[in-house]
Amino acid sequence: MQKTKKMNHKGFSAVLISLPALLLIGLIIVFPILYTFYISFTNMNIYHWFTFELIGFENYRRVLFVLDSGFLRALWMTILWTVVNMSLQLVVAFIIASLLNHRHMKFNGFYKTLLMIPWAIPGYVSILLWRTGMFNTEFGLFNQWMRSLGFETVQWLSGDIIAFISVTVVNLWLALPFMIMIMDGALQSIDQSYYEAADLESANVLQKARLITVPLMKPVIAPAVVITIFTTFKQFDIIYLLIMQPAARTGANIHTILTYAYENAFITSNYGYSSAISIVIFMMLIGFTLGFNRQMRKGGIKHVEQH
Amino acid sequence: MSNNTRKIINRIWLHGFFITLSFVTLIPVLYALTISLSSSNSLLSSDFSFIPKNITLNNYALLFTEYPIIRWFSNSFILAISTLGLALGVSIPAAYAFSRRTFKGKQSVFKTLILLNAFPTILSMFALWRLMSTGPVSLINTKIGLVLIYAGTMAIFGIMNMKGYFDTIPIEIEEAARIDGGTEFQIVSKIVLPLAKPSIIVTGVMILIYVWNEYIFSITFMTGSENYTLAVGLYSLQAGEISGSWPLFTAAALFTSLPVLIIFLMVQRHMVSGLTVGGVKA
Repeated sequence: MQKTKKMNHKGFSAVLISLPALLLIGLIIVFPILYTFYISFTNMNIYHWFTFELIGFENYRRVLFVLDSGFLRALWMTILWTVVNMSLQLVVAFIIASLLNHRHMKFNGFYKTLLMIPWAIPGYVSILLWRTGMFNTEFGLFNQWMRSLGFETVQWLSGDIIAFISVTVVNLWLALPFMIMIMDGALQSIDQSYYEAADLESANVLQKARLITVPLMKPVIAPAVVITIFTTFKQFDIIYLLIMQPAARTGANIHTILTYAYENAFITSNYGYSSAISIVIFMMLIGFTLGFNRQMRKGGIKHVEQH
Repeated sequence: MSNNTRKIINRIWLHGFFITLSFVTLIPVLYALTISLSSSNSLLSSDFSFIPKNITLNNYALLFTEYPIIRWFSNSFILAISTLGLALGVSIPAAYAFSRRTFKGKQSVFKTLILLNAFPTILSMFALWRLMSTGPVSLINTKIGLVLIYAGTMAIFGIMNMKGYFDTIPIEIEEAARIDGGTEFQIVSKIVLPLAKPSIIVTGVMILIYVWNEYIFSITFMTGSENYTLAVGLYSLQAGEISGSWPLFTAAALFTSLPVLIIFLMVQRHMVSGLTVGGVKA
């Protein structure tokens, strides 16, 4: 009897001390999501700011079933963007991290610190520096080089394909430090005796990478890779700041789902439509999160069983 | 002998590779540094080099005399510190409760937090904006509005991150102290919090960096120039295709980056664990 009473008291105080945080999150995160959900069923826009009315699933129909709607195009672009960037990131980071851990390498801490610098600078600052410093048609460094080599100057951010490449370069520049750091840590966790055994069997570099390094790294880097897939999929800053700034569009028409949702809310003022996009994206993210968590748990168990 | 030669050759090309890679990586930053230290009329000269011919601090001086960069800086600073206080203040006790106590609905609340963590706040930015502008008191263009948004976002991260760390502290330590007659408050403040210090510091640094690096909410919500943060100020200083304020912009950009760069390199070793632990523990 006394024990249950004590438990209740403890449970009560636990609720009490987590209440401020839960209230704040409820007010700032949960309530606006619910409000977005409500707006997504209305025709709220610049003309119907106060006089909006409920229109059922009309916005969702426009988002999902109108084939030439901007959303499906943006979704396809976002998937392409995520696949291209993740593949490049994993390969390049693996090569750099392997070389950092080459057995004849000395003083790699110095290079590691230098290579971390892009990660340490505020993202929007770096992106704006790239925008003018590198890509600017007149005095950007790339076109200065082109001119001094005798080539025509290039508008790095205006065509869809060239802009996609430029944006990818900036994303790699920003994202590689984290991935290199993760892979570096994973490589250091591998027991050297595996390689010594492989050397006795005279395995070559590729065999060692395929049969020892990659399988042993996988479980260590998996969480970080999943996090990076999410941040890449949710990319907004690079594309918005480089090519989609309202007063300074560069002419390329590249949207990720996030820049597309933003544009419909804050530029073209289709609040109902934009809210429906937000809810669709949120549903997809929930699906991914649950899927990845299940996968992770499965992977974790498998890993334990192997030992 | 031949093994030794191979070692030396390997070492030479490895260092060659990493010196080149580091230089290529840092070109945008070095270029910005050079521009910020040169006079504005040398921009288009064809004989550009990474070492400016006439080093001048003129651009930096202009920032302080012609532009309110000190006000931008102090606005950013106030936002960062207030968010840090509020976010840590609410999430440390909550993280402790989620790690140590059982109460009804704990599991489902925590699972909801994991899902909410996947939600990019930019998707509800319009709803937040409408709620804050049409509520009884308008919170648009106020520091309170932004601090609430930032702290709410970072409270989720803080709870998940620090709960994971509290979980690794053996509960036996607390039980021993309880047997010795320590009160609940003493146990938490004298034993648990000091043990959790590394996690609290990493979480705090992450919150500071998040606020310092945030721009889309501040450029949307801070409409009056007296409330401009460094991000809004920089955004307004941005050089257009032909604008001449580019050297000034580089100076402001580097000035903005310096505090974060220093803090980041100080805690570099802890950054990776600080970023991944929270996302994994489900």
